Amino acid sequence: MPSADHSSTPWPAADFSRVPFDVFTSADRYAREQSRIFRGPVWNYLCLEIEIPNVGDFVRTWVGDLSVLVSRADDGSIHAFENSCAHRGAQLTSKLRGNTRRHTCAYHLWTYSLTGELLGVPMEKGVNGKGGMPPHFDKRNHGLNCLRVTTFGGLVFGTLSNDTPPIEDYLGPHAVEQIQRLLVQRQPRVLGYLRQRIPGNWKLYNENVRDPYHGSLLHLFQVSFRLQQPTMRGGIKMDADLKNTWNHSILTEEDAGNRKTLSDAYAGTGKFAPEMRMADPSLTQVPLDLGDGYKTTILSIFPTLVVAQVDNTYAIRHLRPKGPNLVELHITYLGFESDTPEMTQDKLLTSNFIGPAGYISLEDGEALRLVQEGIRTRRPGQHEMLEMGGVGEIRDTDYLSQEISIRGFWSFYHRIMGAAP
Amino acid sequence: MPDPMLRLQVESFLYEYAALLDEERFAEWPNLFAEGPCRYEVLSRENVDLGLPVPIMSCYSHGMVRDRVSMLVQGTLTYRKMRLLRQVSNVRAHAAADGSVIARAGITVFQSDEEGVSSLYIVGRYDASLASANGSFRITGMSVVVDSFGIDTMLAVPI
Repeated sequence: MPSADHSSTPWPAADFSRVPFDVFTSADRYAREQSRIFRGPVWNYLCLEIEIPNVGDFVRTWVGDLSVLVSRADDGSIHAFENSCAHRGAQLTSKLRGNTRRHTCAYHLWTYSLTGELLGVPMEKGVNGKGGMPPHFDKRNHGLNCLRVTTFGGLVFGTLSNDTPPIEDYLGPHAVEQIQRLLVQRQPRVLGYLRQRIPGNWKLYNENVRDPYHGSLLHLFQVSFRLQQPTMRGGIKMDADLKNTWNHSILTEEDAGNRKTLSDAYAGTGKFAPEMRMADPSLTQVPLDLGDGYKTTILSIFPTLVVAQVDNTYAIRHLRPKGPNLVELHITYLGFESDTPEMTQDKLLTSNFIGPAGYISLEDGEALRLVQEGIRTRRPGQHEMLEMGGVGEIRDTDYLSQEISIRGFWSFYHRIMGAAP
Repeated sequence: MPDPMLRLQVESFLYEYAALLDEERFAEWPNLFAEGPCRYEVLSRENVDLGLPVPIMSCYSHGMVRDRVSMLVQGTLTYRKMRLLRQVSNVRAHAAADGSVIARAGITVFQSDEEGVSSLYIVGRYDASLASANGSFRITGMSVVVDSFGIDTMLAVPI
């Protein structure tokens, strides 16, 4: 069977307004992404610092296909290493989280410190003078495969490359500002986890979060109940690499007047139902915690992190690719230490907006499935088109009906993958 | 002390509950809940075990129960249309001191697509509090705790 990859083929449009469909389906490409992206010069989101507050705390996470343990050491420092024994490769733990003094492999009881160094090898010197490891064996050479770790605003990141730039440079000014706004000015606490396994490529989700065009069209709930609409103000901002996007929307009083013209925007689809009323609208009446007027802010950090405020919900979304055709969306839902019990209850109420059953998110799972299913049979040389909002230069906008930030994602993707598509 | 008659009544109620949803009679689903205060939640086993409160889906009033299915009833929700089969098992029931009935059961949900291909969708348990009403029951509180909290694609319809 011929490979879907053609490394000599140029990207079909210099402004990335065309994307070859096989970037979403090719197994070869997926394997190459593991080395070029996830083990390449990117900062991969690992976890939140508050999930491992104490010495010995650990969590298990994913960096692309790699299973990774993140561990808090005796001096309070955070370390990350592959969840695979240096000896025969066995998984060290299948626990998602816990506290331990040592990481011990179940197979031959090789023991590692909280920083990933090999501490103990049973029968290293043999038994009764026989057997044991050869004289040149040195435990110092057989620690776990460690990632370089950094933290920013309570987010823990890891990289397997020496070429990854400093975290603030990697994030860019808009991300730095938004992390400060969402995760630093108040101390977050984890209210729970939500997981959704979407039968689509992980890059389709990256397109989705950089695509404010779909927001008011796919997610009709929020339009019907006046949470969002296509006429509202907003825009996108990108970092210098165009890989990270901040998109935001602001709902103002004038949007109420604009609703009269809305039916036209839906181009006769019959999907817009302004007459719908909620039996219990308490969900939509929860006030925004922050007084800055932003209704939705989605910060997307290449390759797999999204820090999202959707109405009065605050969450970390982490993409965990599971082959070219499946991605797990792992959501860490946040409250804040300063929240009153009423505010916490409100956050449980508004959690109905997001996640696999979310009124403003559940359709994304279906949209991605439909795309993955639709492109499965498309042929090499065929591509998607991204022209909404303008073609040519990839730049920030002060409007929402656009796909320019998706083109930004692809331009960086193209660069980091090295070869043409 | 197990009460076989009570168990049979609860079983029969949960079978009706499952059949109503399997038959996609979403507009009738709220009728199974108490008119006064009531609660419906789908909870992740992961969160329950960690003592974390965030639900996957939640309704804290009869109005919210009605709202949860209103877009399904109107046909305005974009979701993966699968035929679902809910199998209720291992039903246990006992009467609480306040006269309500505490019911527990296993729930397995299979999904089948338009081309007749089936797979397992949800495994979990019902944890319900029921009030007697006209020879049957109304739900005052129901937690669906799902072991399969890695939700396949989406959770658009109640379990």
